[in-house]
Parts: sequence; C-alpha cells; structure tokens
Amino acid sequence: MHRRREAWWLIAPLAIFMVVWLGFPFLSNLYYSLSDVTFETLSSPTLTGFGNFADAAGSAAFWQSLWFSLRFAVIATTAQIIIALTLAIALRPLLERYRFLLAVLILPLMISPALMGIMYKLMLNEFVGVVPQYLALFGLYPNLLGPDWVVTVVIAIEVLQWTPFALLLLLTALQAIPEELLDAAYVDGAKPRDQVRRIVLPLMGPAIAITAFIRFIDSFRVFDHIYVLTGGGPGTLTTSSSIFIYRAFFQQGRLGFAIASSLILMAFSLLLLWATMRYVLKGART
Amino acid sequence: MKRRFIGASAFALAVALGAQAAQADVTLLFWPGPESDAMQAVIDAFNEGPGQELGFEVDQLLFSRQGFFDKELSDLAAGSTEFDLALVTTYTLGRYAPFLEPLDQYLDPGVADHFAPVALDSLSADGSIYGIPTDISVHFAFYRTDLIDELMNNPDWQARYSEIAAEHLGAARDPVDPGDWTWDDYIATALFFTQSINPDAPTQFGSALQLQNLIFNIMIWQSTLVSNGGNWMDADGTITIDSDAARRGLEIYQTIIDAGATPPGSLSYEFAEANAAFGTGRAATTLQWNAAFNIVNDPDEYPETGGLVGIAPMPAGPEGHRTHSHSLGIGMNAASENKDQAGQFLNYLASIEAQEIYAAAGGTPAVPSILEGMSDQRPEFPLIGQFAADYGFVINGGTAAYAVPVYEVLAQEFSGYWSGQTDIDTALSQAASGMAEAMAQ
Amino acid sequence: MSRKRDPGPIGWTWRWLLFVVAALILNLPVVFTVFTSFKTNADINASPPVWLFAPTLQHYAEVLTTPTLNFPRYLMNSFVLAAAGTAIALVLAVPAAYAIVRMKFGGGTIVPIVLMLRTLPLVIFAIPFYFMFQWLGLLDTRLGLSIIAAIINLPFALLFAIAMVRDLPYEIEEAARVDGAGIGMLLWRIVIPLGRPMLISIAILSFIYAWNEFLFGLILTTRSATPVTVGATLFATSFGIRWGPTSAAMVLSLLPPMLVGLVCFRYLTRALTAGAIKG
Repeated sequence: MHRRREAWWLIAPLAIFMVVWLGFPFLSNLYYSLSDVTFETLSSPTLTGFGNFADAAGSAAFWQSLWFSLRFAVIATTAQIIIALTLAIALRPLLERYRFLLAVLILPLMISPALMGIMYKLMLNEFVGVVPQYLALFGLYPNLLGPDWVVTVVIAIEVLQWTPFALLLLLTALQAIPEELLDAAYVDGAKPRDQVRRIVLPLMGPAIAITAFIRFIDSFRVFDHIYVLTGGGPGTLTTSSSIFIYRAFFQQGRLGFAIASSLILMAFSLLLLWATMRYVLKGART
Repeated sequence: MKRRFIGASAFALAVALGAQAAQADVTLLFWPGPESDAMQAVIDAFNEGPGQELGFEVDQLLFSRQGFFDKELSDLAAGSTEFDLALVTTYTLGRYAPFLEPLDQYLDPGVADHFAPVALDSLSADGSIYGIPTDISVHFAFYRTDLIDELMNNPDWQARYSEIAAEHLGAARDPVDPGDWTWDDYIATALFFTQSINPDAPTQFGSALQLQNLIFNIMIWQSTLVSNGGNWMDADGTITIDSDAARRGLEIYQTIIDAGATPPGSLSYEFAEANAAFGTGRAATTLQWNAAFNIVNDPDEYPETGGLVGIAPMPAGPEGHRTHSHSLGIGMNAASENKDQAGQFLNYLASIEAQEIYAAAGGTPAVPSILEGMSDQRPEFPLIGQFAADYGFVINGGTAAYAVPVYEVLAQEFSGYWSGQTDIDTALSQAASGMAEAMAQ
Repeated sequence: MSRKRDPGPIGWTWRWLLFVVAALILNLPVVFTVFTSFKTNADINASPPVWLFAPTLQHYAEVLTTPTLNFPRYLMNSFVLAAAGTAIALVLAVPAAYAIVRMKFGGGTIVPIVLMLRTLPLVIFAIPFYFMFQWLGLLDTRLGLSIIAAIINLPFALLFAIAMVRDLPYEIEEAARVDGAGIGMLLWRIVIPLGRPMLISIAILSFIYAWNEFLFGLILTTRSATPVTVGATLFATSFGIRWGPTSAAMVLSLLPPMLVGLVCFRYLTRALTAGAIKG
C-alpha cells in the first residue's frame, strides 16, 4: 500500500500537468469537432452533431492524404533505421575514440525542418541549385519536384535529416551492451557478421523498436519541409494528413472538419499504439 | 558545487522566462520585404513630424511571410490587441472584414480621393472602406529586349518562327511586338525560344510559368480566363468556372508545358523560381508580377538580364488584354484600444506626402499621379498605373470571405491537371464542385 | 575500451571513409547553407552554382543589425524555451517512468495517452492554446512557449525514460531500499546518475526538438518571445526568399544547439567509455 502511494506521488506531477494544460484544449476541440465553426464564430460555435466526422470519413482527399502519410512514414522509418543501425555498428570504434565526430553526424538535426525546407528550395532549383548540378555530373536530369520524383525527394529529405536521431539513440543502446558478451563471442571465433546477428541485434531489439516507433510517429505527422517545399503538390501528390488538416483549418477555415479529421486520425493511432505498445514496452516487466 | 550550479541555472532560467519587449502607442502589423521597408520610411517621417504634434508614436511589427495570413487571422479572430493597424489585401479582405473596423468614420473627407478607384474598390466591402491602399499589383509579360529585338529584325529567325507556329499552332504567323501579343503569339514566341523545339534558340526555354499548388499562381493564370471571356461566376453568383474560357485558359498553359517550353521544374515554381529561371538567362519570357521587374532588371541580382528586361501587358484574348489586379493596404483591428490615434495615422498615410515618401522608399503606391511622376527612377511605374486602369480586373467574388478558399481549390485542381494527375474535365468539374463547397461554408 | 577488438589499419581506413561519406551526405544541406551565407546575391543566383567565390559577411551584418529585427533576442528566446521545455519534460517524465516500470503503476493508461499527443497534427491545438494563453496572459511569453515545448517533448521523454529505467540494474535499487532510502533519494542518488547517458541523449534530443519547433512559435508570439525559427523566416519576403540573410540566420541558429551538443557529448561519451553502466 505504501508503494502504491509512492507511485501516485511519482505519477502525479505528470498527470496534473497533462490535465491542466491539455484538458481545456482537448475539451474545446471535442466541442469544435461537433460544431459548425469558422474563425468568425470561434467563441460562439453552433453544436451540430457528427456532421464533421461524416464529412471527413466521406472525404476521398482525407483518405488519400492518410495513405500518403502512411507510405511516407513506413518507407522513411525503415530507411532511417537501416542506415542508422549500419552506421552505429560500423562506426562505433571510431565514434568512441573521437567523441566530437558524433556531433558532426547529428548536425542536421539542429536545423528546423521548416527552415530546411526553405533551403531545399534553393538546393533543388534546377538552375541555381547544387543537387541538380551534381546529378548532371552523372548525366542525370531528373525533374526533382515533378510528379515522378517528388515523393522520393521529400522522403529522402526526411531520411537525411532524421537518420542522425536514430543513430544517436541506437549508438547509445549499442554501447550499453556489455563488452564481455562481445569479447566472449570474439574469443569463441565468431565472425563480426555473426556477432551482429546473434548478439547485437537481439539485445538491441527493444531500442530499435522504440526508435522506429518514435520515428514512425514523427514521420507520419510530417508537415514542415513538405509544406514549404511543395505546398502538398503538384496537385495533391505530397499532401500528408497534417498538410490536409492544416489547409482545411487555416486556408479553408473549416475548423470543425479539420479537428474531426484529426480525431479520426487519432483513433487510428490509438489502434496502432495499442497494437505495438506491448512490444515497445516489453522490457518494462523484466 | 553541482547543486549550486543547478540552482543557479534554474534561477537564471526563471528570470529569463519573464523578459518582455517594449512597444509604442500605435502598432502597425506588416510583413517583411520592400513594402515594410517603405512603410518604415513613412512611419519615421510621421514620428518626426505630425506625430510630435499629435503626441504619439507609431511602430511597425513584422510577422514572418511564412504563414503570415494564418498568424494574422488567428490574432484578429481571437481579438488580439497586440497591433492596431494591419496589412489587408484584396483577397483576404472578405475573410478579415468581420474583425476589422470600417474606416469611413476615421477618415477626413476627400483624403483618399487621389487613389486609383480600382484600388479603393478592391479594399472595400459592403460599401465601406477597410484599407488605405499602399501597393498595387498587376501582371506583366516579361521579355528580353535583346532577344525580341533580334527576332523582330532577323529574317532567318522570323522564317523559323513562322515554321514553328505552323507546325505547333496549325497556322503560320509572323512575330509581333510584345505589346500586341495575343495568347497564340505568346505561345509561338515561347516555343520559338525553346531549344528542344528550335535548336538554334539562344535560351533553353521560351517561358517560365508558375505552376505550384499555390493561390498566387492562380491569380496569374486568371488573365487567361478573363481575357477569354470567363470568370469564377457570373453577376448573379452562379459558378461558371467549368466553361470554355477556363478550358482555353488551362490549355494555353498546357500547350506550353507539353511542348517543354517551360522548365520541367515549373510545377514547383512560384515568384522567386520564375525570377531565377528568367534572370539566369534560361527562359526568354515569363508571366510575372510587376514587383519582379526591379529584381530581374537589377544587374547586381541578375547580371544576365539586368538592363535587358522589357515589359508588356499580359497577352490578349478575345476580350483584349486583361490583368488580375489587387492591392495591399492598411486596415484597423476592430479590437484595437487606440482607434482614434490609429485613425489619425491612417489620415497621414493616405496623404500625397506620405504616399510620395512610400514610393521613394520602394513601395508601389496606388496613386496614378505619383506613378506617372516617377518614371525616371522606376520605368515600370507608369505602365502599372496604365495597365491597372485599362486592363485591370478583380475577379467576381475576389474580395468575398470565400476568396482564399476558392483560390485554394483552384490551385489544387489546376496544378493537379498541369502535373498530369487529372484530366481537364475532371479538374474543371472538381473545381466547380469544390468552389461550391467553399462558398457554402 | 577493449583492445582485443581493435579493428586494425584496414578496419580504421574503411571506417573513416564511411564516416566521411556519411557526414558529407547527411550534412550536405548544412554545408550548402554555410556556403550560401557567405555568398553575394549575384553568386547565390549564379547558374550553374559556384563553389569558389569571394566570401562576404554582409548577410551576417544585416541579420544582426536590421533595426526592425532583434536577432540576439530570438536566439535567447529559443535557448530559454528549449532549455526550460526540456527541463520540465524530464522532471515530469523520469519519476513517472520509475513508477510505471518499477511499480507497474499507470503504464497502461498514461503511456498511451501521452504518446497519443504526438500522433495528432499540432495545428488543431493552435486556437485552443491561443485562447487559453490569452486568458492566462501567457501569449508571447517565453514561459508559455516553454510549456508548449514541454508538451511536445513529453511523449518522447516519457518513452525513453521508461526504456532507461528498465535497463537499470534493479539490485542496486533494492539494496538502497533495504538501506532505507526514500523514493526521492533513490531517484536522485541512483536512478539519475546511473541513467545519465540515456538522460543526456534524451535531453539533447528534447532540446533540439524544442529548438526546431515552428508552428506555435509563429502563432503564439508577436514580438517578445519570437523564437529563432520564426525569426529566421523574417527574411522570406513578399518578393521571394532572401537566401543570403536567411542562410546566415540559419547558421547563427545552428550555433547554440551545437554548443549544447558538444558540451553534453563530453559527459555522454565519458560516461559511456568509463563502461560498466550496467551488467
């Protein structure tokens, strides 16, 4: 019983913080989602029931944006984890000996994605940008922001910017693996490849899962660099659900619809969370 | 030691969390750029002159251009008192009007008489004026004077031009002066200056269209719609976007796209990218905002084209030359706590004296007499006044509350068509239904 | 470090090679931004782009001296909100994580709720937060933005704090318990020191996340608390983006988190190479 009270004390600050700061936004959003509301009627929305939810669920554009976000997140996350894991395992000795090298690798994280998007506008410009210039050296002249390439390009930007995030976390986890285990395997004559497969990967499972989980959620919500770079276009080719919702919210002033769409999105995320949480938190019971 | 360090850090953080900045009596919200630089000159003149007598100061608050309208809308709708005066535009006016103060009662009689009527109209709603105009915008067809001179004088080029027109447009035609361009002349010129069609062309591309999914690009495109007799809706408010005129307008663009006469990257172009394509000498012409003239004609910015830029009215359709025209202006926040002082500043801002300062500092005032008088420093100024008066239009519904949502719909549907995601019929019918939905909100 | 696993000269060579390639590719945008910030406008607009040019400091001078802007202030705002946001998130997350892992308490409810936060498009919170902050007088304050930063970081901080506590050796805590240490002492003396590498990683990443936030920095500030991400976009004008000053502003905005990173890395890697954080 004593421990239970202690647990309460430990959880309470977080719980109170959440209720204080998110209680009102959440309730007012719930109300807005059930109302006819525009910027003009922010303080006097008219309750109309579930019309916004029906509109959102019936909107092909909404589902299309959800599909884009899902594909985007799956591909980007997979790429980030594979690259980061490779770099972490291969570069570990180097990064341990020369500590500042890690700082060089995580530099891309320190530029806001919104600003990064602005810079990519210049970098990808077909006449004054460096990326087309380099590709031209290899005889490639792709229209990087055209319909054929734009999805690849926005995914690549996400991967380039956020792989360092995964790298930092996976390296931290890798270093937590007891040296003796690796050394023992080494003495047993295990090849480095086997070491990785038999010892490193299983031990890092939970860390990989958590990192992938966080990156997936963030990539799913992608907004800044795509919005700045393509505005969700050409047409709706790169409209992620965050962009779809942002446009409905500000440009079209359909607040109730935008929030209802978000809540549908949230329901899906809950399913996903519920399905993966078990694995992500697995170690919690050890 | 460690504990003291943590304590000191926490204390420093707590102090830093409370810091505030100072602010003047009347605050004017604008966006960064040449317009606000010019506005600063007017404000400085006010604070040193009339402001001293009236006993208050004005200062300027800048919000990022990235998300400016979203931020401004949030503030106005939530009744922010952080600013008293704010930028209003033709296209956002209807949306912001519920949160703005009508200016009529604050303005001295006759103070706004020297403004171009089209500018005042474009900042008025329901018979009230909501903004003192500061800048007027129209579109030009930009071209390279060296290249067009050569075309008009070189018989070999003219013969080739004629062949290309015959092959791609179905009938031979001769080059004409840019001032007399019809849309077919423009297309023929764009094709002639495209290397993939004419290997001897001095430029890689003949045109640089702005096709990104963005409302401002629809404003440029609208010239094709209106010059062909189309509009968003007729006088009764019936949506007419799904029309032959719109079809012709979309096809004018599509012909240039399909022929490869605009850079492939055009699908992501807006103002700056079109300038880069034209200014680096890669494109021979572009359809662009008047504001670009001073940029691409400046040798320090673009050595390739500086001093070689010619401007003409947007190409003509059956209805003649037409150009979208809109204005920026300064309106009053309905939640302001300093309305009288803000009104006094607006009277000053509307004066010829203030508008002259504004123009001299880089603005483009909607005052015909000033635009005429400054032709030596700003060669494009007289043309802006003339084109706005002769060819300028405000699209039907362009100042309504639904203007921006409608632009959004059109930008999405038409950029979808230009990028090959949808066909023209789908784009037009979805545009019409999307418009209806946006207007019903 | 174990001498037995020294990669040898060939191992070192290809590792260096890999590092250089990875660093160049990942940092291409950063390098490009740095270069652009030292170019004149004509060099920026050159086609094809140039890599050799006479550098200029004009853009930095402009960023730091334009009277309508207050760039040092934007940097300070961002620093304060990122530091405070990180501190709040950690202070809330670590004890909660301990209760969730070691006491099996609340994990099933509070973790999904907190994580859910991160899956929502933030824009829908813009208006409710605006009204709430207006009412509380938190609009355009660093405190207000710090709270936002904490909210943004909480899901991430909680998840990793859980992972951190989970990986700590339970026996030491048990021993301390038997010795009669209170729960506060246990956290302060055992959990935090032992979890330091992970805590520092979380702190660095939280700091960076908060530093990079844009939307709320835009909507909830006007002049006092404008963060540097929003300040840097003040060079995106109605006449197009002014690349020179924008990139100079970005380079300046890169320096503080870099410094934080470098300082923290010393502790991070020292703790790691000292070894034996768990057995």
